[in-house]
Amino acid sequence: MSWITRLRGMLRRERLDQDLDEELRSHLEMRTADNLVAGMSPEEARFDAQKRFGNTTLLKEDTRKTDIVGWLDEAARDFRYALRMLHRSPGFTAVAVLTLALGIGANTAIFSVIDSVLVRPLPFHEPDHLVMVWESNSQHLNPHNTVSPPNFLDWQTRNTVFSSMAYIFDERDNLTGNGEPEEVVVQDVSTNFFSLLGVDPLIGPGLTPENGQPGHDHVVILSYGFWKERFAGDPAIVGKSILLNGHPQTVVGVAPQNFQWFIKDGSFTGAKPQMWSPFVFPQAFHDHKQIGRFLTVVARLHPGATHSQAQTQMNAIASRLEQEYPDFDGHWGVNVVPLRQQISGDLRPALLVLFGAVAFVLLIACANVSSLLLARAASREREMAIRTAIGATRWRIARQLLMESLLLALIGGGIGVALAVWGTNALLAASPANLLDLHSVPVDLRVLTFAAAATLLAGLLFGFLPSYISAHSRISETLKEGGRGSSSANRRAFARNAFVVAQLGLALVLLTGSGLLIRSFIRLIDVDPGFDTGHLLTFKIVLPRSKYGTDQLRMAFFQQLLARISTVPGVRSASMESFPPLAGLGAATGVHLLSQPQQSLEDLPVANVGVVGPDYFGTMNIPLRAGRLFDAQELAQEKHVTIVSQAFVDKYLHGVNPLGQKAAIYMKSLVENELQPSEIIGVVGDVHQIGLDIAPEPTVYWPHPELVMSAMTVLVRTSNDPFAMVSAARAELQKMDPQLPMAAVATMDQLLADSLSRSRFTMLLLGIFSALALVLAAVGIYGLVAYSVTQRTQELGIRIALGAQRGDVLRLVLSQGTRLTLLGVAVGVLAALAFSRLLSTLLFGVSATDPLTFAGVAALLAVVALAACFIPARRATRVDPIVALRYE
Amino acid sequence: MLKPKNDLLQGTLALLVLKTLAREAMHGYGITLHIQMVSKDFLRVEEGSLYPALHRMEQEGWVSAEWGISENNRRARYYRLTAKGRKQLAEEEKNWERLTRAVAQVLQFA
Repeated sequence: MSWITRLRGMLRRERLDQDLDEELRSHLEMRTADNLVAGMSPEEARFDAQKRFGNTTLLKEDTRKTDIVGWLDEAARDFRYALRMLHRSPGFTAVAVLTLALGIGANTAIFSVIDSVLVRPLPFHEPDHLVMVWESNSQHLNPHNTVSPPNFLDWQTRNTVFSSMAYIFDERDNLTGNGEPEEVVVQDVSTNFFSLLGVDPLIGPGLTPENGQPGHDHVVILSYGFWKERFAGDPAIVGKSILLNGHPQTVVGVAPQNFQWFIKDGSFTGAKPQMWSPFVFPQAFHDHKQIGRFLTVVARLHPGATHSQAQTQMNAIASRLEQEYPDFDGHWGVNVVPLRQQISGDLRPALLVLFGAVAFVLLIACANVSSLLLARAASREREMAIRTAIGATRWRIARQLLMESLLLALIGGGIGVALAVWGTNALLAASPANLLDLHSVPVDLRVLTFAAAATLLAGLLFGFLPSYISAHSRISETLKEGGRGSSSANRRAFARNAFVVAQLGLALVLLTGSGLLIRSFIRLIDVDPGFDTGHLLTFKIVLPRSKYGTDQLRMAFFQQLLARISTVPGVRSASMESFPPLAGLGAATGVHLLSQPQQSLEDLPVANVGVVGPDYFGTMNIPLRAGRLFDAQELAQEKHVTIVSQAFVDKYLHGVNPLGQKAAIYMKSLVENELQPSEIIGVVGDVHQIGLDIAPEPTVYWPHPELVMSAMTVLVRTSNDPFAMVSAARAELQKMDPQLPMAAVATMDQLLADSLSRSRFTMLLLGIFSALALVLAAVGIYGLVAYSVTQRTQELGIRIALGAQRGDVLRLVLSQGTRLTLLGVAVGVLAALAFSRLLSTLLFGVSATDPLTFAGVAALLAVVALAACFIPARRATRVDPIVALRYE
Repeated sequence: MLKPKNDLLQGTLALLVLKTLAREAMHGYGITLHIQMVSKDFLRVEEGSLYPALHRMEQEGWVSAEWGISENNRRARYYRLTAKGRKQLAEEEKNWERLTRAVAQVLQFA
């Protein structure tokens, strides 16, 4: 049958219905008339005609199905009917829709973040073929150590698994001219960096191999953001010159808007770059003795080469290098890491835990709505029975109920997506700057598809059981018993109990997770950082070598700057440090204690180095444990003295008097040919350099004259709000050198908060989700008990009439809730024991099976659940026996 | 979409209706009476199957329908065989013969 006829049929529908009605009526009349002629009584005649016809409604439906795109039309009718049903019980609809919106919204929000961070392809050509190549030292236990240039060159010539390799290292440079001086983050890269990633510049020719020739390397590519911000998106920027550290550099391109390269593990600045500049290895870099490890290396796998093949071959190359250069490459191996894993590594466990958590929330929400539907189905049992009696099939009824579920899910999903849009923005706003590498999470087709799938799945999930039970109820039973005590009612009661137990169990798992995170966060902030973080302003100054070429100039500049800032009213003291705590990685070096036998370079004790200014320990409030601090002379010129941390003494000088010991600290070997040992004159308290969750490392401190660094972080202890001092400090700086920018301005409290941000963020979100789960589970058990009280009104009335006391009734009702609660808690504890292990990477100082947490959240859940049961239980005690008995 | 009913062998209803209408245009009730009468009360067409079948045949273009006045002055919908319906009838008659012959052969063989 052609579909045009069907279409015409659809258009003619109205008339068709009338026709059909009339046709059937005339048939009935004719039959009745004939029956009368045959001698039946009028009543008999009509009854016989009707009987032969059977179910006219069904007949009409069957006939109509042949006329039009049958089920589409029926679905539309089911839909309208469902809409009416939902409209008729706005309370139920509102609760169900809100519950679903929260569940679907939370899932969509977390999914959109996960999609952006873990799934969406990186904006590079064939990103799956990109890997990071790190050195890794078996003694320092850093799997992602930056790479030395001579090793890079050897890798490049010896490997056959990579089609190309590129290197990157970042630094802060001063940009001058064209307005305010500004510190910019520059990534120095090999000339093949962009072509390896497969990224073409938005405008300009970009880097070419010629830029690797000496004299042709004074060029830069600007990031899109910096081009827009500093140069107002000037389309004629290519070919123009900018001044970096006083040297002119020609702009040869602007990177595409979505291009970004930031690998935290190899970054010295800890910041995203604003421009890229080619860097060519000088001849000295080919020597396996002189050069440190500072490159980040990215490589593209040959088509067909796998990550594990690359790792195997690089292991072989590394062990050959170890033999060839035992002094330099001893204990050093190679670690090949897929780029995706590198980028998302930090966040992956936290995001997956959160995704699991929101999935649980959605399950709880589904159980709630399902339970509500079951309760409603019980009261609609008669309606369903009558519909079955007049010929509706099981499928017909199940479909009707499923349509209602899907409609609920659809409305909930729609609101959920709106919540998710709002929620992801809130999520990004709440997440600290460098945690999520996202400015906005787009709600695009992928996210909407996910939301739609979640909605559909939820609708089927919570709609299935109620529809199934209703469709399979036995009519005769239902009509006889008025819907109570029938087998379907029993099945429903069982299903609702099971749902409540499952909800409580799921909620307990989430509560345990967030309980553990909260406990570990409390442990974390309880850790003493080793110095006083309050009222401490920090900012960084980088002296350009072109202007401050000698040690004298640099020392003089910083001494004068600190002296000037110290006199500003409101400043209690000011000092400086080369690698201050909580601001990023420190710089580690080998230390040879002269009292101990000479060891190969690679077996030496390792310590962080801090180059400090006058009164550093006083300004930071780091206690002196033994000996003395640097005196004025030692702070003015090189006297070969050092102060070590307690951890240094504990690890390397255990049981020995550290004072007076001589230590050769290798960091100076880069600038001095003859390494002069330093005398240990004091021991100070430990400081957490990287974060509170990482144990303090052995540290050695030098006064500034020992190693005159040009990049120093100034630390200003203030009496009041540290930020109020920024402009005064900047004014002092400008008086000395108007070309110098003040970089990375922050308070130490801020840096501390940033270092805790990931833990806080995960804790906060999991806390919100588990609170949501707790509320939903409480609503679930409340609904169940309240419903059963309504159902048992008559029974309770009789009991009260027969003399049951308030307490008896209360106990009767509560016992149901208590049983379910205890069962739910038991199930939840078992599930939490299984699941909490997944959290172990996120925990600090708390075991994943911490009994205190388990007991605490179990008690919390039990109390909340019982409180939720108590409300309907109290209502039960106030049942008026007269009213209750008159009820039927 | 048309569900088979067990009152008549699937497919035979259409054949009977088409054959009935080949003689003259008739309304639904008339069709049931005719089939019942000709088969000497052996075949009874259920209204529940007849009307869906009639409407399907109308969709297929085998029959056309229009309102008319019945022998005892009632408005009734009359169904008439179309050219396409006539072809379909021939086809179905052939099918039926083939089917019955085949069934008969199987019965004899056994």
